Amino acid sequence: MHLFRELLDKQIEDRDDERMGRVDAIGVELRPGAPPRVVDIELGGVSIAARLHPRLEALAMRLHKKLGVRRSARYHIPWEKILDVNDDRVKVDVCADDTPAMDWEKWLRRHVIGKIPGASTEEEE
Amino acid sequence: MKKGLQLFLGILTAIGGFFDIGNLVTAAQAGATFRFQLLWALALGTIIVIFLVEMSGRFAAVTKKSIPTGVREHFGVRVWIAPFAILVLLHFLTLAAELGGIAFALQLVTGISFQIWVLPVGVLVWLFLWRATFDAIEYSTATLGLIALCFVVAAFMYHPPRSDVLSGLLPSLPKQDGAKYWLYAVSIIGALIAPYMFYFYSSGAVEDEWDKSYLMVNRIVSITGMSFGAVITAAVIIMTGLVLHPLDIGVDSINQAAFVLTGAFPFWGFLLFAASMGIACTGAAAEVGLSLAYSTAQTFGWNWGESLEPKKDARFALTYTVAIVLAMLLMMLGIDPLKLTIYTMALNAMVLPIVSIPFLMLMNDGRLMREFTNGIFTNAATAIIVLISFVLFVVSIPLVIMGSG
Repeated sequence: MHLFRELLDKQIEDRDDERMGRVDAIGVELRPGAPPRVVDIELGGVSIAARLHPRLEALAMRLHKKLGVRRSARYHIPWEKILDVNDDRVKVDVCADDTPAMDWEKWLRRHVIGKIPGASTEEEE
Repeated sequence: MKKGLQLFLGILTAIGGFFDIGNLVTAAQAGATFRFQLLWALALGTIIVIFLVEMSGRFAAVTKKSIPTGVREHFGVRVWIAPFAILVLLHFLTLAAELGGIAFALQLVTGISFQIWVLPVGVLVWLFLWRATFDAIEYSTATLGLIALCFVVAAFMYHPPRSDVLSGLLPSLPKQDGAKYWLYAVSIIGALIAPYMFYFYSSGAVEDEWDKSYLMVNRIVSITGMSFGAVITAAVIIMTGLVLHPLDIGVDSINQAAFVLTGAFPFWGFLLFAASMGIACTGAAAEVGLSLAYSTAQTFGWNWGESLEPKKDARFALTYTVAIVLAMLLMMLGIDPLKLTIYTMALNAMVLPIVSIPFLMLMNDGRLMREFTNGIFTNAATAIIVLISFVLFVVSIPLVIMGSG
């Protein structure tokens, strides 16, 4: 299987088809005497930065520590949570809103976008 | 929606979306300085943009993906990040130029400095994106944008010498001002092939849920819409060539270009010019802001959609909000919108290979496009486009430096 081609950079959707990010990295476990095994997929700005340059990764990590609102810079979704992979998306068995992948989205919703009049026609929760 | 209506609206949108500050400024300067001599650059740029727009619509209809999605998934983030960064910069500069254009149109009518107008103008464009749905934005600006047809009417009223117009369609060497001539040629082409044109088009097609049944609609819209749009731009070159060129004044500020219609429409000419400019730039500013937010959200896999409420896609809404605020600040510094436009458009032409080559490779990928990959004709045309882009890339760097003198 062309694992990296099939998985890497693909859109990730949660169990309710909510877009939650892309596969920014893949975690592989190297085992002595056995073939490597995919452990998880990863999302996060730091994961992207790591693929571009080690210095960018260090910078992204520093930014995350200083300004980040995410619980973790990298969010790992274990392989067991992957429901389905097709040409368009990777479907995972989580609820996007409960994961670090949406921490920024929720923070902005609460502190910035939600504060501007007209952001939503629904009543405030 | 019925296909016929869709076709009509699509063509309307393409015409409306075509004409913006880039086309207006580059065409006016070219006409005023070189009369009809640069019409060929318009014709060439139009052919290129027809191919690019047709391909991006076909890509969206077949794969259901926008260009940033396709390129990142296929080539990975390491390949996509540089074109993406350039794309963000170009979108930002273009957005600032469009806001400057609207503000300048208001300055023409009111006499109050565009630097002051930029603030309410930016807020207005932002409100438009914040509240309106995708279709509302597309169709309202497209319909109002047809006011720019007044340039075409005026050009017909003046009966320009047909042989002169036709000979302008053939590339020729300048008699003087060589650097300026080529800078204007590159800027005209750059204004036509502004990346937001085809990036926005592909996101719009995904947003409208195009499928293979739209391939014919796509083809007709891209050819007809872009051609009509080019006719308006040609009319600007012809009018400035007829009215301003003999006076030997060039266009150093939009104030001068604004009188180009007063001969044809004595009372309304000035207002028509300002209205065409203001409306065209408003529509374009909305499209550029959206295109930037689409491209960013698609690159990172965020939720996106202009028809969603801002709260449902907070990062998408934040992207265009921040871009508009920064663009407003840039224009308030007092940067000349005319100069900003010319250089941004030249930059567009310069980076076309970088932002288009990964996409052109996708168009030939049978795994992705199946039987709808580019044919021999399109590929030959594409090869020429890439070649021309590369030449533009090489020549435009010294031109941007020399042409500023």
